[in-house]
Order: sequence, then structure tokens, then C-alpha cells
Amino acid sequence: MNLIICMGLFWVISSLHPPVAFSQDDILTVDDSAFLRHMRPAVKFPHQKHAVNKRIQACSACHHVYQNGVWVENGDSIGMECSECHYEEKQDAIMDLIRVYHLRCKGCHWEQKAGPVLCGECHRKD
Amino acid sequence: MMHDIYYIVSGPMVWISMVLFAAGSLYRVFSMGLLAAKKDHVVISYMNIRYALRSILHWIIPYASISMRRRPVMTAVAFSFHICLILTPIFLLAHVLLIKESWNISWWYLPDRIADAMTLTVIAGCIFFLIRRAIRPEVRYLTDASDYFLLALVAAPFASGFWAAQHWPGYNLALVIHILSGEVLLASIPFTRFSHMLFFPFTRGYMGSEFGGVRKAKDW
Repeated sequence: MNLIICMGLFWVISSLHPPVAFSQDDILTVDDSAFLRHMRPAVKFPHQKHAVNKRIQACSACHHVYQNGVWVENGDSIGMECSECHYEEKQDAIMDLIRVYHLRCKGCHWEQKAGPVLCGECHRKD
Repeated sequence: MMHDIYYIVSGPMVWISMVLFAAGSLYRVFSMGLLAAKKDHVVISYMNIRYALRSILHWIIPYASISMRRRPVMTAVAFSFHICLILTPIFLLAHVLLIKESWNISWWYLPDRIADAMTLTVIAGCIFFLIRRAIRPEVRYLTDASDYFLLALVAAPFASGFWAAQHWPGYNLALVIHILSGEVLLASIPFTRFSHMLFFPFTRGYMGSEFGGVRKAKDW
């Protein structure tokens, strides 16, 4: 019985997504042109929410630049698609690209214990 | 709090269940082998690789044995159930991707629709076995509560996984149940009657050896 109540509570709590306090314009759809065929619904990314988040030190946390494998401290890659650097024509290329997206988004959410980490929390059908 | 729950079920518990499965399987197979060597040496001395493989081959091909031909529906369900049960989790895109993220290795994956159909096949198989246990007198006679429990344990990760894959309400809970029940199922294989997965080659191989080498007869 207790188990059932716990599971019920879990269900309710886990269904309560924090309301997004920004307009639709601040929510970008992650639709990298390298993904010719979507295997999952494209992610609706609340960009503004991340931009004002104090736990994210700089834009270059995501919009980073590497030259010859070395991180460029004041560089940024704003306006570029991830696939411009993280995609090269070879076998498994799409899996590699998906991997860097997941490690960047989900990896940070895990570290910060904040933000979605389950597949369907980002890849939503609605 | 939620992140902690997700972390525990998708991190340490995965390792615990994999170690229990792998170490438990080795322990069961080796301890059974030692027990046979000590108490039932005939099993080992009669074992013949050619007759063993011949028998295994006839029992892993659908309808290659008389018993299977006599029970065509049961055979169809049993084969499709086991094939989908083993292949779906290994070749599911979501699983392949999680392994790709962790270890940077990946392999071929199933289209989602096929994976959905295979998952439903497993669930339908569980329902078939459930009804069969309840209504066939000769099966019912051999059935106790643990059989129903084991059937539910097989169905749980597939039903909750299907639920989550459809993004039905309660997604987060469904996924946690999916991961947890999958771990319990994997870890339970060596220690329950699911161990037929480990012992099948040996029991079938022995039957084949005895029938082929001693009785000079087919066992299929």
C-alpha cells in the first residue's frame, strides 16, 4: 500500500514540469541540418532560460571553440551549428553527433542535478 | 531528489545487476558442472559434442522436432516470444545510444516501429503463457504463484518500456519502473527458473548425447 502511495506521489511530482517563464521566441528548436531524418522529436530548447542561468559561466560553455584540440578561451562559436565541427563524413557520424549533443546537454544536467535527463523529457511528442 | 533516483537506477544499479547476472551465471554453470562430476558422472562421460549439437540444432529451429509440430501454436508463440525477448533490448535505438554515450561504441539498431511490434510480441507472449497456465490442466497442475510472479517480471520491463516509448502520461515513473524491473529481471536470470537460458545447451546437449550415443535414436 505504502509502495502504491509512493509511486502515486512520484507520478504527480514527476509530471509537474516547472512552468517556462519565457515567450515562445526564447524557445529554439534544435534542428541541426546534419540530421536529415529525425529519429526522435526535435528538442525544444529554452535558450533564454539557459542564457540567464547563473550556473552557466559563459556562452562558450556550449558555444565553444577548439583550435588544434585546444580550447580557445575567449572564442565563441555563436551562430554555428554543432555539426559544423562535430560532424565528419564517416561511418557512425550521426551517432557521434547525437552523442556530443547528449553529452553537452544531459551531461551538464547530471553534473548540476538540474534540468531533464530522461530521453522523453527533452524529446517530447507534444 | 529526482536526479538522485534517476542516477541510482541508471548508474550503480545497472552495474550491480550486470555483475549479478555475469558472476551468477558463471557460478551456476560451474557449480552445476562440479555437482554433475561429483554425483552424476554419467552426464559428463556420455556427453558427445556431435550428438549434442545435432540435438540443439533441431530444437532451436522452429518445427524441427515432432513435439513442436504437434503443438504448432505453442511453438509459434514460444519462438517469437524468445526471439523478441532477447533481440529487442540489444538492438533498441534508445539502448544503443546510451551505450554509445557511455562507451563510445555502437551497433545496428531496429527501426522504432519494428521494436514496438517486437515489444508487443513479448507482452502478448506473456499473456498467452498466463492464460495457458490458467486453463490447461496439465500445466496448471505444475503451476504455483512463483510462475505467475516470473511471468510478471518478464512482462514488466517490456510493458513499462512500451509505455514510456509512447510518451503516455506518467512517462518519468514508467521509465524508472522500466529500468528497475529490467535490472531485477537481468539479475534474477541465474537464480530463478530463468536459468534455463544458461542450462539449455547442457540439458539439451545431454539428451542428444544419450539418445544419439546410447539409445541410437533421435530426440527430436
